[in-house]
Amino acid sequence: MTLFHFGNCFALAYFPYFITYKCSGLSEYNAFWRCVQAGATYLFVQLCKMLFLATFFPTWEGGAGVYDFVGEFMKATVDLADLLGLHLVMSRNAGKGEYKIMVAAMGWATAELVMSRCLPLWVGARGIEFDWKYIQMSFDSNISLVHYIAMASVVWMFTRYDLPKSFRLPVTVLLGLCVYKAFLMELFVHMFLLGSWTALLVKAILTGVVSLCSLFLFVTLVHSN
Amino acid sequence: MFEEASEVFDNMFKSSFPLTFIVFIPAVLILVSPLPAEAAHEFTVYRMQQYDLQGQPYGTRNAILNTEARSVEAEVLSRRCVIMRLIDFSYEKYQKALRQSAGAVVIILPKNMSTMPQDIVQQFMELEPEMLATETIVPVYFALEDDELLSIYTQTLTSSPTQGTATAAEVLLHTATANGFQMVTSGAQSKAVSDWAITSLEGRLAGVGGEDLPTIVLVAHYDAFGVAPWLSYGADSNGSGVSMLLELARLFSRLYTYKRTHAGYNLLFFVSGGGKFNYQGTKRWLEDNLDHTDSSLLQDNVAFVLCLDTLGNGDGLHLHVSKPPKEGTPQHALLRELETVVSSQYPEVKFSMVHKKINLADDTLAWEHERFGIRRLPAFTLSHLASHRLAQRSSIMDVRPTVDMRRLSRNTKVVAEALARVIYNLTEKVNSEGAPEDLQIFTEQMQVQEEQLSSVVDWLTAQPRAAQLLDKDSSVVSTLEHQLGRYLKDVKRHYVKADKRDPEFVFYDQLKQTMNAYRVKPAIFDLLLAFCIAAYLGVMYLAIQNFGVLYGVIRRVTQPKTKTH
Repeated sequence: MTLFHFGNCFALAYFPYFITYKCSGLSEYNAFWRCVQAGATYLFVQLCKMLFLATFFPTWEGGAGVYDFVGEFMKATVDLADLLGLHLVMSRNAGKGEYKIMVAAMGWATAELVMSRCLPLWVGARGIEFDWKYIQMSFDSNISLVHYIAMASVVWMFTRYDLPKSFRLPVTVLLGLCVYKAFLMELFVHMFLLGSWTALLVKAILTGVVSLCSLFLFVTLVHSN
Repeated sequence: MFEEASEVFDNMFKSSFPLTFIVFIPAVLILVSPLPAEAAHEFTVYRMQQYDLQGQPYGTRNAILNTEARSVEAEVLSRRCVIMRLIDFSYEKYQKALRQSAGAVVIILPKNMSTMPQDIVQQFMELEPEMLATETIVPVYFALEDDELLSIYTQTLTSSPTQGTATAAEVLLHTATANGFQMVTSGAQSKAVSDWAITSLEGRLAGVGGEDLPTIVLVAHYDAFGVAPWLSYGADSNGSGVSMLLELARLFSRLYTYKRTHAGYNLLFFVSGGGKFNYQGTKRWLEDNLDHTDSSLLQDNVAFVLCLDTLGNGDGLHLHVSKPPKEGTPQHALLRELETVVSSQYPEVKFSMVHKKINLADDTLAWEHERFGIRRLPAFTLSHLASHRLAQRSSIMDVRPTVDMRRLSRNTKVVAEALARVIYNLTEKVNSEGAPEDLQIFTEQMQVQEEQLSSVVDWLTAQPRAAQLLDKDSSVVSTLEHQLGRYLKDVKRHYVKADKRDPEFVFYDQLKQTMNAYRVKPAIFDLLLAFCIAAYLGVMYLAIQNFGVLYGVIRRVTQPKTKTH
């Protein structure tokens, strides 16, 4: 619409990241470069994923409106690479668990924000046409920040040697939820024909539940010994 | 918070020089990128006529539109694009929009004109000449209705806030929820088309029996006229005249192939272009034939010129003359024969002669025969219209259903019979040889073919036929030429180009454009949104600041569990 509108969307998308960075104390650790490295890893992982998808997954040529359940599931499975990438980032940083998690998640989420939302926002929100989807996109980026923090913490827990036996199952379930969350969302939208706002709300609730669960596990794990 | 932000940026700049390049060069590149054109709805619009005739400007003078849409009921219309539907259209509303210096007017026409109530069609038809009579500064566009466009229209209607009753809060809420539409045309400003050639076609059937035979000229103009050139299909005016002319050419060419029926009259057929622009094609044809050549059929013995104009409907037949024909002339013979044919074969037809003198002071000539009258050729026009002022002759409402094929073929029969009676001098033969009074020539194998007429009218109304759209390569002209060539000899083209220095007619381009309707929100909405986002970010800040509280709660909840562990 106008530059002002772009400013609105931009603020909505970016300020939570900034606030999180500042308030989580990452700035005091001088973790900026570590975050940038995490972002670079994100880029590398995405490139690998794309190559893999392009090589092994033929383009779906089914009729329009038909949902290719198996194909989408397989594609979502490729997102397991994200977990590996996060683990890679965290294994290269020494420090406390919270610090490692925050650095990996911040770098990862910010790289995604810059790469996949910056350009659409600039091109779309600044155009003459008004559409709510840019505001929605900005909200969505806030949700994905929470999502990546939860995901990084679950990965961190999963890779610990001293993880108690009783934690193994819930952590694995959470991992699976994190990876297949986008796939599940798509399935929901497709099955219940959700509107864009409802879909966003469902996504927020789903992410909230997953991250609350992982927070519970994290708190229990950290303070159990 | 801002200090911290600048700290981050400072860090960034200091720590590495190449990073500034990586971040800022793409940023600069993005900044200069053009805005994309992704519209909510894209539709074709047809611009109102724009032309100069004898130095006098007519129609809209502008083509560029980039303003917000409003319905005509809104209070402030200045610099807005006023959208109207044909059902609600009236001259007062149109004038109101122009008086308030609206940015543009877009009139939405129904997809199928025949579904409209007859009185609305009639009313609009009569308004068309008035809209064109003076020049209009703002662009005026016509669009054909579709679901998207209707929804834009209804949203525009509801978005104009109801005055007086609403409270400030209601108005504020309304501005936030309602959609506005920015209407943008893609084309450039309209400019005059130079060297436009209007094409006319001529063909003949030569008579037999000596030199200096009398010539009968049959004329019909083929172009159509309406308030918007791209919507001018001109079924009755003058698709009906052209189809009748082609049918007459077919019938008489058959008669002229047999020795016994080959008559002592030359028949000259002329399909003129630019008929709606003061008969430019006819004018040039006459000049070419009378002034510039030595020998022409028009120069010597012309019996009469019969112009066919708007003959596809109604039960009246009017012979328009600028001078009542004298007893004993071929003109008078045709008049008498028409009367005889009508009274003996078609008593339901009301035939009459209408006399109107040529008014040279008028801007435009009334009928095509006046062009010939000025050059002292005996001429008249046959039409079912009683007056040249009737709006049917220049309306976009003149589409295919306005032509009644039964009546058109009946009128064709009347003209063909009367012409044949003049050519073969049947009346005298009837009187001397005792043949029946209602003798019919065009029966059985020679009868007027209604399918033929109907297919020609169908073909002519399949595309808009405004003079601005038919250049010398257009399919209409070449198909007409081909059709004439099937029946007639010496088919020739005549071109008219306006004089460069003092043009008699000037046409303008950009008559058909793509219009985009972008959904927009008012500035107040942006402000409101900014406040909401600021509040949201504030809440987020507090939530993240006090994350420890949540952490503590969870820790307290999980603590007993771990103790029992």
